[in-house]
Amino acid sequence: MRETTLTRVLTSGPVLKVIPAVVFLGLWEVGANWKDSLLIPNASTTIRSTFELVQRGETWEAMWISNQSLLLGFGMAVLTGIPSGLLMGRVRAIEKMADVWMNVLVVLPMAMLMPVIIMSLGFDLRARSLVVLLFAYPMVAVNARAGVREVPTDLIEMSRSFGAGEAQLWRKILLPAAAPAIWTGLRVGLGRAITGMILAELLLVSVGIGRLLQLYKGTFQPGNTYAIVAIVVAESLVLMAVVRRLEHRLVPWANDDAFSRT
Amino acid sequence: MSVGPDTAMSELGLKPAIEGRPTSVPSAPVLLPDSRGQRWASLAVRVCTADGFYNLVSLVGGLLLWEIIARVFERPYLPAFTSVVDRLWELIRSGEILGDLSRSVQNLGLGFAFAAVLGVVVGTLMGRYAVIEKMLDPYVYALMTAPTVVFTPVYFSIFGLQRWAIVALIVQYSIFVIIVNTVTAVKTVDRELVEMASVFGAREHQRITKIVLPAALPLIMAGMRLGMGRAVKGMINGELLIAVVGLGATSEGFARAFDAEGVFAVLLVVVFVALAATKLVELVDRKVNAWLPNSQR
Amino acid sequence: MIDISHVSKTFHPRAGRRGTQPVTALDDVNLTIGDNEFVTLIGPSGCGKTTLLRMVAGLTSVDEGLIRVDGKVVRGPSPDRAMVFQAFALMPWASVLRNVAFGLELRGTPKREREELARDLVRKVGLAGFEKSLPAELSGGMRQRVGIARALAVNPSVLLMDEPFGALDEQTKRMMQEELLRIWEMERKTVIFVTHSIDEAILLADRCVLMSARPGRIHEIETIHLPRPRSRADETSAEFIETKARLWDHLRSLQLAEEPKRVGV
Repeated sequence: MRETTLTRVLTSGPVLKVIPAVVFLGLWEVGANWKDSLLIPNASTTIRSTFELVQRGETWEAMWISNQSLLLGFGMAVLTGIPSGLLMGRVRAIEKMADVWMNVLVVLPMAMLMPVIIMSLGFDLRARSLVVLLFAYPMVAVNARAGVREVPTDLIEMSRSFGAGEAQLWRKILLPAAAPAIWTGLRVGLGRAITGMILAELLLVSVGIGRLLQLYKGTFQPGNTYAIVAIVVAESLVLMAVVRRLEHRLVPWANDDAFSRT
Repeated sequence: MSVGPDTAMSELGLKPAIEGRPTSVPSAPVLLPDSRGQRWASLAVRVCTADGFYNLVSLVGGLLLWEIIARVFERPYLPAFTSVVDRLWELIRSGEILGDLSRSVQNLGLGFAFAAVLGVVVGTLMGRYAVIEKMLDPYVYALMTAPTVVFTPVYFSIFGLQRWAIVALIVQYSIFVIIVNTVTAVKTVDRELVEMASVFGAREHQRITKIVLPAALPLIMAGMRLGMGRAVKGMINGELLIAVVGLGATSEGFARAFDAEGVFAVLLVVVFVALAATKLVELVDRKVNAWLPNSQR
Repeated sequence: MIDISHVSKTFHPRAGRRGTQPVTALDDVNLTIGDNEFVTLIGPSGCGKTTLLRMVAGLTSVDEGLIRVDGKVVRGPSPDRAMVFQAFALMPWASVLRNVAFGLELRGTPKREREELARDLVRKVGLAGFEKSLPAELSGGMRQRVGIARALAVNPSVLLMDEPFGALDEQTKRMMQEELLRIWEMERKTVIFVTHSIDEAILLADRCVLMSARPGRIHEIETIHLPRPRSRADETSAEFIETKARLWDHLRSLQLAEEPKRVGV
């Protein structure tokens, strides 16, 4: 194709990235207006509602309430997941025993266990945090385990032959080598944790963002409903971006096909 | 003890769990191969050191533990495994669960099929044409990492309580993992193979169908396996929140009635569906990638 | 007939790669190759022999100059200039027969016809009985026979061979050289053959083109005065030994000319 200025601008990075968003918003606007349903807001209404909601104190209060469970639950997941994952990766016997249950945990739709959690713990922050923990733990642990398992045997044997004890082995070889995988686990686990946070509020008890969502849905405020969705997605993107940034800084030698462990 | 260059790994008492899974260890040396006792002994050794053995022991052990704890503590939210199984059997006999199962599996099939086809198409386009990849990549990544469950009200508003809301959710749950793996698969196809095809007169659509896709198939199938796992999650989450019939809906019904036994019974079915569905994808994977001579062309 | 006139090619480093200079792979290369002539290209690494071959194939573009095959300017790859690859480039999921018939399949030749043609060629290259085998089941030499059969199947006017025996062990290499000579006697084609091995270059060729590196240019062209059909025995003839000695001399002088450049590094 002959390179005109127009094609060059069109195929430049920033412009290219914006095109799908523009096309999508355009189609949405036209589609929603044409369909004219009470429940489906068009793009412009959604955008306006989002700006409005972001300015309301109520929204931020709700975000804080919701995120408390995220903080506690994900924090616990990291504190339990990484050590247990590392242990499973290092000690074959433990791994073999735990393997079946880890597979089940990864595949289990945690959402179904929620009612069991209500019955045992009630409706409070503890219960919601537990949900977040359950959602995030498997991914954190499994990736930590994989990280340790995939450390090349020669590295370990090499350090043994230089007289390294177990503690040194961990500090100098196993942890650095497993670090990229651990970070992948953190990243994916965080995504799951956010899902847990939302689900807990939609299924378990109406507080925070979940409550707002139900409220706007129930009172037929489609613009605000979609706006909440957008806000949650935005928070998730921001959190993920933060983790990725940290990841690049702390484990710059990691490569990007961590996707296959998602 | 001092650890030196000659210390064997086994002396340290720690076996690093690094290597891939060992296949079952060959039997111990047999002194009198004809002796029945010896044969049973070697079989026992083989069984005890096989991986599947540990899986089984662990599984049975865990279930046993569950049973014991449940019977000892007798909490309403922790029914015993045996009573859950009983309940499940009841549900199967009443036909209730089978109707739900069929409904859910249909949703799963529809959603996954759609995600698979669209996912491979988009992934191939992105893998082949850098422009398209640059354009779509941020959105694929964003949607893949965002909590898909939060989109439930969106699909509910568009489709109402119908199955299409669930199917749409399932598609969104699984398609991005498929896309990402397809992109990698397509990009790592041996460039020389594609060049060879050009030399022998292949045009772009022939290059894609006859070289790129067959070569990328193994990694694409890996994406399919992951996608199926996601699809099952999507099916459940969707049904818990939206549906009136289906496994998720039934489970939610039990939950509202504080019927933990019922919830666990449905849970068993769901786990079974998840494992079966993933196994199915694995089977297809193995068949397709045995390098079948595609002589139907 | 192949007409390479005033061909030049420079490779520029990728944007953002610091410290790499543009490389002049080929500088004003001129060469004419007659019908059914077997020409070998040899030279040190970086002399541009593979680049030149790929240009004739149409896989690499020409910066300056022109390449004409049978009067038509080369603008892209075509089965008329079929190629045999060093790494074989076989489809691992397809049988020998399907690999050989690939060019015909792309062309749209009906299945029965192309399978017949393919079977015939499989026999000619000595692989009769292996039609249904997968490449993974074949040895290196056998795989390259498939590659050669595939190239011949499309009846090209030019056969381009990019170090086709480079990935094979010595025994197999020598056997394949004799095979190639035998096959070429049956199906005479214009051949451009790139190799590292002087022995191979002399044994197979009508003319042997020695190229120099940095920048890539034609240094010498030796005409090989050995009668056809050739055989392994020719390797001990006086003509062979003398030609080889001459080519080694040329190569050494190229090496020495390079040295001062390298000392400064």
